[in-house]
Amino acid sequence: MRGPGVVALIALGLLAWGAWYLLAEPAISQPIQFPHKKHVELLECTDCHTRATKGPVAGRPSMETCLSCHSSGEGNSVEEKKLLAFAERGLEVPWKRVWRLPSHVFFSHRTHVVVAKVKCQSCHGPMETLDRPPARPLKTLSMNDCIACHEKGVGPSEEDEQKGAKPVEAVARRRISTDCNVCHR
Amino acid sequence: MALWGMVIDLDRCTGCQACVMACKAENNVPAVGPKEASRERIISWMQVLTEEDKEHPDGKLRFLPRPCLHCDDPPCTKVCPVYATYRDPEGIVAQIYARCIGCRFCMAACPYNAKYFNWHTYQKEGPGQNPDVSVRQKGIVEKCTFCHHRLQKARERALAEHREIEPGEYVPACAEACPARAIVFGDLSDPSSEVSKLARSPRAFRLQEELGTKPKVIYLTEGEARG
Repeated sequence: MRGPGVVALIALGLLAWGAWYLLAEPAISQPIQFPHKKHVELLECTDCHTRATKGPVAGRPSMETCLSCHSSGEGNSVEEKKLLAFAERGLEVPWKRVWRLPSHVFFSHRTHVVVAKVKCQSCHGPMETLDRPPARPLKTLSMNDCIACHEKGVGPSEEDEQKGAKPVEAVARRRISTDCNVCHR
Repeated sequence: MALWGMVIDLDRCTGCQACVMACKAENNVPAVGPKEASRERIISWMQVLTEEDKEHPDGKLRFLPRPCLHCDDPPCTKVCPVYATYRDPEGIVAQIYARCIGCRFCMAACPYNAKYFNWHTYQKEGPGQNPDVSVRQKGIVEKCTFCHHRLQKARERALAEHREIEPGEYVPACAEACPARAIVFGDLSDPSSEVSKLARSPRAFRLQEELGTKPKVIYLTEGEARG
């Protein structure tokens, strides 16, 4: 009677492993073990992720941005040598994308960073504490996270305007919309 | 708050179909292929309807470009069981693809046949498509959105530059493409805008006005009233 029991146990184990393998998000490994922590001590997020203030996608920094500090080659860490090896061959660092929104969601970094001045960490999590690149997004975002923040946005009061709030900024605040059309199109 | 509307001058329209093609390219509208087309499953958010004069069959054809009319009192939104189609605060009748369950009630309710169903997966995401508009999947309804993504982009630009949207900054692809300048787009709530002035003209009429749908696409013609 032990035979079928063992077979069932093995089958169950295989099934569980299969489910884990298929359903769990795969870990992402980056070509360079980039420490956000060290960089954020000296720089702002948008100093390297420059496109966050210019368009919908924040993107990963270009080699040019890295070399504006690292070009001297004085660094002696293994990771910096990897960076310079890419640079010598005239290549960009093949960073892999970690954060991805579903294709029916249209999010603009520019509006949130420049106009609303939302902190990067409120969606991306405590990136500034990381010594190595994250294998997965630090936060799993759902529509409720977006809506919760958007619902907090209130229209301008007359007081604000008397205090000298610019009319355009007042308009911007009024437009913190929970209308479906704003993000889904 | 703006109330977006469109005026189409039928006396200027030459039936060239530039608006149709501009719309297809802008909004990732799929080509369904001949087999599906023969089953009357063509998707074309903007359509140039033709009208023949029955008494003079050799005479000129008359053209009527028909986008979604973005009714101010839309019949389609009232039958949607999942709030996938609704009139947004600025008067645009929205279609939220992620919410749509494909019941097609809205298609039955629309008196202008402005809604289209994806019977199959007609296209997948790929290069050459407009990244600002989603690629619709099988089993959902789609329609003209007044190029609503362009409004979002114009608004984003204006906000980042700390100013208001200027008139003419947000124009749908069809109006932009029309070589005869038959399509005028703008804010109907502003009485001094070009669309408002044209909408008040004695040449103006709306399609099937008697239904009470209050379309925000207004037609102009010198000829006898149609619709």
